[in-house]
Amino acid sequence: MSANAPRSIDEYLKQLRAALEGQDPALIQDALYDAEEYLRAEVAAHPDKSETDVLELIASTYGAPEEVAAAYRDTEAKVKAALKTPVPAAADASGWKRFFGVYLDPRAYTSIFYMLLALATGILYFTIVVTGLSLSLGFAILIIGIPFFLVFIGITRVIALGEGRLIEAVTGERMPRRPVHPGPPAGWLTRIGEMLRDVRTWTTLLYMLLMLPLGIVYFTVTVTGLAVGLAFTSLPFLVLARWLGWDSNATFSDDVHIGGWALSDHSMVSALILGAIGVLIVTLLMHAARAIGRGHAHLAKALLVVPGA
Amino acid sequence: MDDSQARKFQKDLNAGLVALVLLAVLDRSPEDLYGYEIAKRLQKANEGEALFKEGTIYPVLRTLAAGGLLTSRVVPSYSGPPRRYYRITDEGRSLLSQWSGIWRQTRGFVDRFIEGTDS
Repeated sequence: MSANAPRSIDEYLKQLRAALEGQDPALIQDALYDAEEYLRAEVAAHPDKSETDVLELIASTYGAPEEVAAAYRDTEAKVKAALKTPVPAAADASGWKRFFGVYLDPRAYTSIFYMLLALATGILYFTIVVTGLSLSLGFAILIIGIPFFLVFIGITRVIALGEGRLIEAVTGERMPRRPVHPGPPAGWLTRIGEMLRDVRTWTTLLYMLLMLPLGIVYFTVTVTGLAVGLAFTSLPFLVLARWLGWDSNATFSDDVHIGGWALSDHSMVSALILGAIGVLIVTLLMHAARAIGRGHAHLAKALLVVPGA
Repeated sequence: MDDSQARKFQKDLNAGLVALVLLAVLDRSPEDLYGYEIAKRLQKANEGEALFKEGTIYPVLRTLAAGGLLTSRVVPSYSGPPRRYYRITDEGRSLLSQWSGIWRQTRGFVDRFIEGTDS
């Protein structure tokens, strides 16, 4: 056994974290959660032994921190390789192919979905944070203030985990599969002290507040882009329909005006030009969505997972 | 005798076996199990000296669940954070019987040479 074998759960976790240095923060959070769950259960299962005595045997049962870290690294590498979505439109594809290849990328569609959803989740998160924080302050002088604050922070942690799972599904960015381990059982005041000191508590609240303005922007960009783009794209078909006499009453097409251009002029050339612009807008939106999805995933990881916290 | 070579050999063997053993444990168990319970069962089966370290089963459990071979549910626990209970799926069962066949075949094949019953 090495000279610096861990003698407490905290020491073990610290060594495990050190052994996982440089790995994805989400992977580190999962590994630490698993280890802490096992170690605390093991200590609880041996009430006659001290934590130090239990930890002495850990290297031969659960495994030394380096061994466990190696297992997570190996499994992660294998799973990542197996689950990796093949990216269509290889890097050597021509500019055109790469530009329109976005339509074959599932991430672009899921990102659009996320951007539309972001308005709803943004409103929800913002409301929860504002309500939770103000009620926590208001209740602080009452006996229910303490449990209320604990429940409120607990809810934000569950939301952080859920939002992470959603973001991983949408963008493929590795996010935690386990929440932050709450640590050993402790008194309410100790718990609150820990929560107030934990950087992640505050960054999670910040993320939830930020989601409202971000959600508004994402939603507006997506809806505007889709509406304008698809409307333009449909113009040549409307003109065609009119030529073919499918809209003989002109109930529909007479009302279409875009700037100085009116559908009743029946100009196919101008309709085609506007249609091409429409396709361009939709394609650009798909590219923007994919990029925003990726950027948002990094933001979420920085605020919800917090490397090294 | 070089201990590290023995360990490396065991590690290479375990790469596929851990998943097989976990599926078998969950298939045998009438109720759902959580990580710590599974680890303890493995430890007991081998008189305290597990063939692989218990810390290595958690990432494998998660991988199996992600692959649809296990389902999991979270149950609140009085003594700590919520626990994730695992149960084998039908897909996991059919894979288990397939893998068990491969394992028996491999074991028989290897034994034939090691014990010299081949000639």
